[in-house]
Amino acid sequence: MKEVKLFLGPQHPGMHGNYSVHMYVDGDIIEKARPTPGFLHRGFEKLMERRHWMGNLALIPRICVPEPDINEFVYAQGIEMLAGIEVPEKAHWIRMLVLEMARVMVHLMSLGFIGGPTGMYTATYWAIAQRDLILDLFEELCGARVYHMYIVPGGVRKDLPEGFTDRVLAMMDELEVKIPEYEELILKHPIIHARTKDNIMLPAEVVWELGVTGIGMRSATGEENDLRKVMPYAKYDQVEFEVPTATYSDALTRLNLKVREMYQCISIIRQVIDKMPSEGPVNVPVSTGNALRWTVPAGMVYSAVESSRGEYGYFIVSDGKEMPYRIAVRGASFPQGLLGIEKYLKGHRIDDASLWMDTMGVCSPEIDR
Amino acid sequence: MNKIINEIKIALEPLKIETPALRQIAVVVKPDAIHNSLAYFRQKGFTQLSIVTCIDWIKESELELVYIVLSWTEGIYIQLRARIDREKPVMVTATDIFPGARYYEREVHEFFGVDFLGNEDAAKPLFLELWDDIPPLRKDFDPQAYSDSKFPMRERGNEFVSEFGGNK
Repeated sequence: MKEVKLFLGPQHPGMHGNYSVHMYVDGDIIEKARPTPGFLHRGFEKLMERRHWMGNLALIPRICVPEPDINEFVYAQGIEMLAGIEVPEKAHWIRMLVLEMARVMVHLMSLGFIGGPTGMYTATYWAIAQRDLILDLFEELCGARVYHMYIVPGGVRKDLPEGFTDRVLAMMDELEVKIPEYEELILKHPIIHARTKDNIMLPAEVVWELGVTGIGMRSATGEENDLRKVMPYAKYDQVEFEVPTATYSDALTRLNLKVREMYQCISIIRQVIDKMPSEGPVNVPVSTGNALRWTVPAGMVYSAVESSRGEYGYFIVSDGKEMPYRIAVRGASFPQGLLGIEKYLKGHRIDDASLWMDTMGVCSPEIDR
Repeated sequence: MNKIINEIKIALEPLKIETPALRQIAVVVKPDAIHNSLAYFRQKGFTQLSIVTCIDWIKESELELVYIVLSWTEGIYIQLRARIDREKPVMVTATDIFPGARYYEREVHEFFGVDFLGNEDAAKPLFLELWDDIPPLRKDFDPQAYSDSKFPMRERGNEFVSEFGGNK
């Protein structure tokens, strides 16, 4: 049979961001797949070298669109490691609150966008509407909905607004009621169930080969490989939570793990609000005088965080000047988004390609940077 | 962690070893020892290669390659670093130890011009389409000058203002 070359993306309803896969197909089976990134390449790493340490705060959240807070956190954490800044107690708890709210938000979005590849857009509408309500909370917190620029080196920008924690708790109660509904709608839907069950497998040896982290890794190996547990940052060692795992990784398992992780997020957020000190400073001034003339001591450090898709890190190099010397971004979806597509997308059907990308957790802006 | 540092000192004889942060060890070796060091770490349980990247030290005319590996059981990051010549940067590929290194090396080749021996893909373009200048993350590449020469400003008078009635 004649081989046909087919372009999936950069514009496609089931595609995740501006990302493209060139597929060579035989019938509707993919024979060969080539990832084609670069549509969202904006040269962040170069731009960061040309901006002040503080000026970068406005730039970095844009590296990962659905989950911007992890960028702020790894950046701030890296600078604190280099400069030896002690973050106040309360700021740690607020950071955890923000990170976990962001995680719930991304999982909702990811669950909802399963509607694109499967053609069940109700899921998208429901989940994105719920996500918007969490965005409202973020807007109240820092004035911005998507790019918050709230976590800064030395702590967080401002203290929580009055009554904010009550509204977060109310939202968590609402989520606890709503998530089973989404589960009912999405995971038990006959079409989505049929499409995802025993499909798009991720065996444990592939995980180790590619270096997949996050839910992909935990769903295949059954090990609790979560940076929040393995090397706790902020105050994650003081809250109790489980890391959901599985040993059989098909698309449905990974979706299930996302839902189970959302319940853990809710539990973490409740503990955080319970344990957070009510008084105290939320940031330490990192510089005296002009913040733009602030310098960071020379050194190289790797700062990482557990994002919703896996290990997300910055390698930060400072030469003691006012701007970073080099910052390298490790996008969590780099392994599965490039090598994974090249090696393991073949053999799937064309319509499963975007499902593959959704459930593996591929986020194109963090691959391209 | 001290035990691991001592083991590394004996096994790899690094040029420099330090702890830049909690649960993080920086190991500096000679460039020809990179491959053996990676194999050593892989065998010691550092099963994940988090990133391969590069730093351009233009004053010393050197490029510094950085490999970051993680042990999930110990919870420790290793930064493995080595400096290579900037004019003819060559390194042996790590894909036989960490297959996931393939695209990281391709990226480093594209942005810094490092050749990876044994990685047949490394020379292919990845992010940058039709790139015709020096590798862009090198320090002597000036994005402002590049975009000014590539996309010159159009000469424009104020006719277009009057065309729409101007700003009254």
